[in-house]
Amino acid sequence: MHEMGIALEIHRVCREAVAGRGPGRIEKVRVAVGELSAIEPDLLRFAWEAVTRETTDEGAALEIEWHRTEQVCPSCGPVPDRAPGTWLRLCPSCGGPLELRGGTELEVLDLVFAAEDDPPGPGGDEPGEESA
Amino acid sequence: MSSDERDGRRVTRDFVRIRKSALAANDRVAGELRDRFRDAGTLVLNLVSAPGSGKTTLLEQTVRRLRDELSLGVLEGDVATELDAERIRALGVPARQIVTGGACHLESRIVRRALEEAEFPPLDILFIENVGNLVCPTSYDLGEDFKVALVSVPEGDDKPFKYPGIFRRALIAVVTKVDLLPHFSFDLDRVRERVATLNPAARFVAVSSTTGEGVDAWCDLLREALAAKREGRPWP
Ligand SMILES: Nc1nc2c(ncn2[C@@H]2O[C@H](COP(=O)(O)OP(=O)(O)O)[C@@H](O)[C@H]2O)c(=O)[nH]1
Ligand SMILES: [Mg+2]
Ligand SMILES: [Zn+2]
Repeated sequence: MHEMGIALEIHRVCREAVAGRGPGRIEKVRVAVGELSAIEPDLLRFAWEAVTRETTDEGAALEIEWHRTEQVCPSCGPVPDRAPGTWLRLCPSCGGPLELRGGTELEVLDLVFAAEDDPPGPGGDEPGEESA
Repeated sequence: MSSDERDGRRVTRDFVRIRKSALAANDRVAGELRDRFRDAGTLVLNLVSAPGSGKTTLLEQTVRRLRDELSLGVLEGDVATELDAERIRALGVPARQIVTGGACHLESRIVRRALEEAEFPPLDILFIENVGNLVCPTSYDLGEDFKVALVSVPEGDDKPFKYPGIFRRALIAVVTKVDLLPHFSFDLDRVRERVATLNPAARFVAVSSTTGEGVDAWCDLLREALAAKREGRPWP
């Protein structure tokens, strides 16, 4: 169950990416996870909830973009309709050996950060309108 | 946050693009280790299997055969005990135990620290026996030249397809305990095919640490990989 360590690292990478933006909360994170990454999406979601609990980012959504591994025949192209978890040894059309493509992704893609603007001053200035 | 909104604060939503590996911190240290191993000319193998597949026993047989010819060192990852490193040291080869305290895999920083503490002499081959687990070690680069995935006959011939991540990455796949083949319905050719499906470049070897079958062939693969590394050639 190394998903805990991965979730911690995802949170660290996200916090690093918003450092310097002032106070605010991460609302949503998108990560790419591949079929060959040795990550179980459900375990990762569970771990994400655990590592963000009681932090500013508690409740942040973790959106997992799942990347299948493609089996590709050099002559006939990708093999369609492979059932999840099964692998073909040879190309169903020409009988030649197949190659694997993709599915090793484990990447933090992007996030949505809700920055807290300063409260309006006593003079009733609109925040964000003063010149720097 | 609703309280902030009550206080009259406004919230601005920003989209922040990141595109960074979730393993970047581990990979950075692994890269440092890899540079160090390259400068030292040390071939480094990361051995991954389920608990009890025969990693330590194969290492015992390996160091018996290679210790007079090559300078060897072993890092032994284990959840709780010191036993594996003692088995290697008993053969006169330096070994350091890494007790992970429950963690299911080794990480590059832990390996870096263990190497500092071990103070190995200059090595031709460093073996890193990972914690017994076919899943969690898959993602973690330890600066090794390549991973070795092992599966023993009693575990069954479906293992490569059940754990495709590690067999996709390993450059040597080892079937261990082949002396037990008569007692199990385990099809060696099927494993060979499944390994080739996941990684056509991977080398395949079947060994028994009990009878010694295949252990010389395994040692030859290690000599080949070491020679390739010293000459700066890719292997296999
Ligand atoms: N029959 C048989 N048993 C083996 C062989 N190699 C290891 N074993 C046994 O398998 C058990 C686990 O071996 P060990 O090397 O400690 O596994 P590790 O957890 O992968 O390091 C021990 O009881 C070994 O004696 C082998 O080639 N044949
Ligand atoms: Mg062991
Ligand atoms: Zn084809």
